[in-house]
Amino acid sequence: MSEQGIGAALTRVEARDKVTGAARYTADVVLPGMAYAALVSSQVSAGRLRSLDVSAAKAAPGVLGVFSHLDRPTWHRVPAIPYFGETRMPFSDDRIHHAGQHIAIVVASTRQQAAHAAALVKAEYEAGKPVPTLEKALPSAYVAAQGNYVNFPQETVRGTPEEALAGSPVRVKAEYRTALISHAPIEPSVTTATWEGDELTLYDTSQAVVVHRGLVATAFGLPEDKVRLVCPLIGGAFGAKTHVWGHTLLVALAARRLGRPVQVVITRKQMFTTTGHQPPTVQRIEIGAERDGRLRVITHDSTNSTSFVAERPENTVLSSVATYAVPNLRTRVRLARMNFGTPTAMRTPGDGPGSFALECALDELAHELGADPVELRRRNHADVHPQSGKPWSGKNLLECYRIGAERFGWHRRDRRPGTRREGNDLIGYGMATARRVEHHRAAESTVDIRTDGGVVVRTATQDIGGGTLTTMIQVAADALGVAPDKVTITVGDTDLPPGAPTFGSITSGSNGSAVRLAAQDARGAAIRLAVGDKGSPLHGLAEDAVDVRDGRLFAKADPRRGETYAVLLTRNRVNPLRGNGKYSPAESQYETSTFGAHFTEVRIDRDLPRVRVVRHLAVIDCGIVLNTKTARNQAQGGIIGSIGVALMEELRQDPVSGRALAPALTDYHVPVNADIGQIDVHFVNKPDHNSNPLGAKGLGEICSIGVSAAVANAVFNATGRRIRDLPITPRRLL
Amino acid sequence: MREKASTFAGEPEPSGPNRRTVLVGAVGAGVAGTALAGVGVGLAAPTTAPPAPQETLPVTLTVNGVRRSAPVDPRASLLDTLRDQWGLTGPKKGCDQGACGACTMLLDGTRVLSCISLAVLHDGQEITTVEGLVAKGEMHPVQRAFAERDGFQCGFCTSGQVTSAVGLLKENPRPSRAEISELMSGNLCRCAAYSNIVDAVADAARGER
Repeated sequence: MSEQGIGAALTRVEARDKVTGAARYTADVVLPGMAYAALVSSQVSAGRLRSLDVSAAKAAPGVLGVFSHLDRPTWHRVPAIPYFGETRMPFSDDRIHHAGQHIAIVVASTRQQAAHAAALVKAEYEAGKPVPTLEKALPSAYVAAQGNYVNFPQETVRGTPEEALAGSPVRVKAEYRTALISHAPIEPSVTTATWEGDELTLYDTSQAVVVHRGLVATAFGLPEDKVRLVCPLIGGAFGAKTHVWGHTLLVALAARRLGRPVQVVITRKQMFTTTGHQPPTVQRIEIGAERDGRLRVITHDSTNSTSFVAERPENTVLSSVATYAVPNLRTRVRLARMNFGTPTAMRTPGDGPGSFALECALDELAHELGADPVELRRRNHADVHPQSGKPWSGKNLLECYRIGAERFGWHRRDRRPGTRREGNDLIGYGMATARRVEHHRAAESTVDIRTDGGVVVRTATQDIGGGTLTTMIQVAADALGVAPDKVTITVGDTDLPPGAPTFGSITSGSNGSAVRLAAQDARGAAIRLAVGDKGSPLHGLAEDAVDVRDGRLFAKADPRRGETYAVLLTRNRVNPLRGNGKYSPAESQYETSTFGAHFTEVRIDRDLPRVRVVRHLAVIDCGIVLNTKTARNQAQGGIIGSIGVALMEELRQDPVSGRALAPALTDYHVPVNADIGQIDVHFVNKPDHNSNPLGAKGLGEICSIGVSAAVANAVFNATGRRIRDLPITPRRLL
Repeated sequence: MREKASTFAGEPEPSGPNRRTVLVGAVGAGVAGTALAGVGVGLAAPTTAPPAPQETLPVTLTVNGVRRSAPVDPRASLLDTLRDQWGLTGPKKGCDQGACGACTMLLDGTRVLSCISLAVLHDGQEITTVEGLVAKGEMHPVQRAFAERDGFQCGFCTSGQVTSAVGLLKENPRPSRAEISELMSGNLCRCAAYSNIVDAVADAARGER
């Protein structure tokens, strides 16, 4: 780690803007003549619209237009899934697939007028009989065919799982359930659309402006270069803004029809019902093991709900496929359709619910064997990828266990559940492994060095709170040999070089590599310019005889001999000197993942069994850490989010209609400040250059995986009660 | 050649009751499973919407030390009024239900949730937003502490957190860490930068940073 470059605990470059209210988010963009939209939601969860009377809405003061399926939107084509939310285009017919589905859009001169007029739209329904819940949908669960979201094997077999189970001296078998949960970012989804002729500009809360531009262009039948998406800062998303949802297209359509910019800020209720969620899962796991704890076989059957307008399986079973060395395996994922909105990626898709089931099952096995849970995991460490047999690009999981157990004081754990008490509190320790596939995506960036010595990074990624603006600056500064405070960055606009999405933990590795390559390109060009320039003190030197530090190029053999980028470029009248970076991930001989280990201490009052996580320690192996300050913060946040999943988060549904009972932050409980105990994070911090040129891997998801299992395992250790259904509320412990 | 970009095919319609009510051929997009019961009418949307209110009322507020007057829609929240009328976009709309705290402002020095406060009910009162905490280009000690302690990630709740912390320290200038956690629990941070937020408020309370 260099003092100011990669790894330094720099304060975020946008810190002042964020604490003074100057930072501009999507809803803060005001365009001249902008009108405001409100979306009308279906009150029923299945059936069709018998009639839709918009006359009163149209006659209301300030209303500029009311549109619905009756206005027959002429969508060009359904954009590609994944990354477009659903197979059905908004307003394409009178069918209702879930409560909350958009059935009309009202546009007016002010927000208040739009909201009022939306309440005047009168819908009559021919109500169908909904499939309300996953429970009711289970009998019709099925294995989906490949295509769209179904992009991983729905069934995997390794070895001879049934025989291995039959021959296993120790077996555990259990069913685990995770709840329907919601991203609930504090920034709701917002779209502002404006047209100039056939050119569309969208200010849109998007986790991937480049990917989303293509989807919007497809929907409207426009060439990609006629669509511009802008989103430098995302006010949180956690997956809710990974896909393009209907409201974005509807607002663009309304703006086109009305010939003026239109903004919609969707309501909190619509955030819960129309921008995805993590679907509930039912997972059955059976493990067969030797008496010494070596795993012989795992079977993992998982069913999750999906909507009637998209088939989206949760890849929960990858936890069983890719975490431990187990010779025999069978997994199967099934879908069950219910009349609810379409599920989507949520921190962390697949591995969040999957690791809950697998890591709890391992804890059950450890208890059955009388083995230490950490030792059991060590014994089954996967030295190579258990399915492909390929080597890992970098893996320090054993070190995570070692450091974690030591720092946490794991040896103080009593294996007999329910034995440790302090006052009226039961005390329990639990742990779990974390593993996440590291995704790679093509990304581009430019890095400009100016004659004043300043540097500008340009790349169309976006900052979601992971510290991207700062870390990309650190990467550029490190590669160029300049101080970070000389570097500025512009992101979040499809007019810039195409950057990486801010989802799937992709930004650090993929976009960071593009920035690094661009900075190296600029540095190399400057050195070539200097050694070929008779006016330069470095003239005639070999390129590799020159180094750069603090913006000054110098001869390695004689550091007094040199000049600054600014002097070199000014004399040669090059302004700016541009470096181009294009990261193109190739087929690799390695399997690349991030890893971690979570240790948690819970305390539970015996009379009011509310679980408190008083102490949590995570050790994370995500390659080199780009900024220890922002990384620690992000990891703590991921852990706390998953403590919420473990203990309180559930979007409850009405058992008859399937509607969300209380889609509001008043009732969908997320962790608040007073819920938080001590959260410690330690990074292994070893670069993984087999993964990508930068050696950094994603952090946003790995930090959250396994936490809910560690909490549940700690609850078992504290109480002797094995809670297999999330969230672990006092009701379930009474 | 590409066809014209998508639009609504229906012709613009005049406002009023004489509108087209024909259902366009309702072909479900090959979607199975939404079995139509075929009988009965489901829940209708509420039909008793309130009558259109008086369009505007005059409101005068002192916002960050500046007296401002405007005709304001009586339905408009304090939050929407400051954001839409006067361009003060520091305070954020997170939930519009008084549940998240992103819209927190100081009303005559006290923390309020501006998304559930009607502007017309506060005529003549004094408002401080996050923008108003900066004095002569200098950040408020709470703002400095949040910046240095990394008391945020995405930053969307931060205006509310910072403003709330300033209000908290007026209510209780020497809070313990437990009190800070408790008294800041009306401000959700979904990124969960909670530990750093407590550190920042503690720093500001000590006046160290």
